[in-house]
Amino acid sequence: MTPFATDVSQATRARDGAGSQASRNLRLLWRSVGYEFRKRIQFRTGFVVREMMNGAVEPIIMLFVYAALYRSAGAEGTGSLRGWSFDEILKYVAGLLVVRKLVFHNRALDVSTEIFEGRITKYLVMPFRFFVLVQGRFIQYTLLQVVLAGLVWGIGYGILGDRWLVPVSAAATVQAMLLVGLGSYCCFLLYFIIHSLAFWLDVVWSLLVMAWFFIAFTGGSSMPVSQMPAGLARVFEYGFPYWTISAPIEVMMGRLGPGDVARGTGILVGWLISLEVLRRFVWRRGLAKYVGAGM
Amino acid sequence: MSVQGPPAGSATEAPVLEARAVGKVFETFERAPGMLGVLKNFVARKKVDVTALADIDLSIHRGETVGLIGANGAGKTTLVKILTGIVPASSGEARLLGRDSFNLTNAEKSRLALVMGQKSQLWWDLPPIDSFHLLREIYSIDSGVFESRVQAFTRMLDVEDRLKIQLRQLSLGQRMKMEIIGAFLHDPDVVFLDEPTIGLDLVSRETIRQFLVKLAEERGVTYVLTSHDLEDIEETCRRIIVLDEGRIAFDGDLAGLTNQVAGKRAVEVHVEPGGTKNLGPLEAALAPLGAEITARAADSVTILVDAVRMRDVVPVLFENLAVRDLSIERQPLEHLVREIYSQSGRAGASLARGREGPGAT
Ligand SMILES: Nc1ncnc2c1ncn2[C@@H]1O[C@H](COP(=O)(O)OP(=O)(O)OP(=O)(O)O)[C@@H](O)[C@H]1O
Ligand SMILES: [Mg+2]
Repeated sequence: MTPFATDVSQATRARDGAGSQASRNLRLLWRSVGYEFRKRIQFRTGFVVREMMNGAVEPIIMLFVYAALYRSAGAEGTGSLRGWSFDEILKYVAGLLVVRKLVFHNRALDVSTEIFEGRITKYLVMPFRFFVLVQGRFIQYTLLQVVLAGLVWGIGYGILGDRWLVPVSAAATVQAMLLVGLGSYCCFLLYFIIHSLAFWLDVVWSLLVMAWFFIAFTGGSSMPVSQMPAGLARVFEYGFPYWTISAPIEVMMGRLGPGDVARGTGILVGWLISLEVLRRFVWRRGLAKYVGAGM
Repeated sequence: MSVQGPPAGSATEAPVLEARAVGKVFETFERAPGMLGVLKNFVARKKVDVTALADIDLSIHRGETVGLIGANGAGKTTLVKILTGIVPASSGEARLLGRDSFNLTNAEKSRLALVMGQKSQLWWDLPPIDSFHLLREIYSIDSGVFESRVQAFTRMLDVEDRLKIQLRQLSLGQRMKMEIIGAFLHDPDVVFLDEPTIGLDLVSRETIRQFLVKLAEERGVTYVLTSHDLEDIEETCRRIIVLDEGRIAFDGDLAGLTNQVAGKRAVEVHVEPGGTKNLGPLEAALAPLGAEITARAADSVTILVDAVRMRDVVPVLFENLAVRDLSIERQPLEHLVREIYSQSGRAGASLARGREGPGAT
């Protein structure tokens, strides 16, 4: 018997309609999530330590700076600087430690290397969109980070109790997570777009670093955006990083309410759509420049 | 067994692969060496165009098995990339299954497969069986069919016991076989194999060749195979295309080509260096025997001769040359190909001049 005795491939092709395409993409998405998991878990050594430490150094430095600042201003107790008491800053830093775990980080993508080295070649001849695989990486990253963020939150709460950030309500937590999720996807899209520039440029990492600084600073990673000079804050409030990092923390602290969340969701969706359009455009243009190196 | 249509494509049918006046120019930037060079590049990069392909016309019908040969840098891989839609053509038009190669839809892509000798199609950190499952998902292969194909193919290629070992831990030959299995799992209609036998031992090569021949026979698969090993081509392909410096130097029936040299032998005579300076007497002595000198180097001469005249020719060689060693090629295809190159070398001279810079090879 030949392996082709039961030939279904013709039938398979015939039903290659839009519906089955979508479900196939979904199945593929889950498979690639699994694949990415295995790839990451493989390097067990130091995995947990590294993942826990990642993004923890900066907020801790920030805390020291803030402590000195508030002390020199004599505002350690109940006093406040630009609308933030030191206790609130402490909670904000706690929020940063948790939220920054969740926000998509560039280290989970290596698309530019894949382009340079011609590793995307094989996907170009397969009947699916390469981006589905990359989305799989995003989902895998997010799932893993949710667990880690939960762990970090638990440890912090165990040590500091109520001085740690405890969300004002379950609803606030859900709203904050919605913002973080949407915003994280925007970060993911931005990084992907920059990676795609590898079709034209030799080096993209400097741009990636710049993007990270942009996200971190305008997102409030070094100080709450609402504590920044009013003019700056007003501008940053139209960017997606603010709604990804700073705003969700304030939502959990109860400083921002459902109205703000609605506005933020609108802004994030706007960004998400624009970035997605840009991503498609850059990718299509880039493919025309692709040389398929190393074949 | 379900063979569809005639085994080799009929001319009335639309071609599976088509190229019309396809050209490809790669844009590269010359890099001056050293620190000063880096600065210079920063200020003004010098653009160099490399013509990889020019004016390629071909059409390949269903069931045809095509061997694509040519020297390093001749443009074989580039042609494969264009036909499969990995890179766009700079000029002209390439079509696969009737659609513009660079804008293939999933429908065409699921009938296409590509095996790259230099690059893995499978996932590096997964065992082949996991990669195959991913491919099953990607190509929506029915699981029963999938199982039976994996089983049959691994048996045919003798890698049944290697399915669960991480790809990176397989030997080159084992990996290549897995790549080929992966390429055929979804029962493609068109398969491109770019140097699938590179670096493999004789036994593995033979196994792979037999596998290809069998599938071509059973399924009427159209394939394009590039290789530097002419034996690969002879055993697996009916049609041969010779590329030389980005142009087609020969396109035709392999049998016809071998017929030209059927019953002939190529005799390569090695002599002391410089011993080939005066070949006049040898030529004169060979002419009445119907033998001719087809290639010469400082220390070797190649003679094409009818097999039946061999016993007369050999003594003549010893009389006229200080023979150190002598080899007789039974199937002088290699020899023919070299001749094709040298002929097109003259025809392609203008093209060669058009190519600049060190990147041109
Ligand atoms: N990305 C690229 N940038 C610049 N030039 C390129 C690029 N890819 C290929 N070329 C040039 O195009 C020409 C054809 O290359 P190609 O890889 O098609 O050759 P080939 O026939 O496959 O050779 P080989 O037998 O060595 O694999 C070469 O001169 C090569 O230098
Ligand atoms: Mg090549």
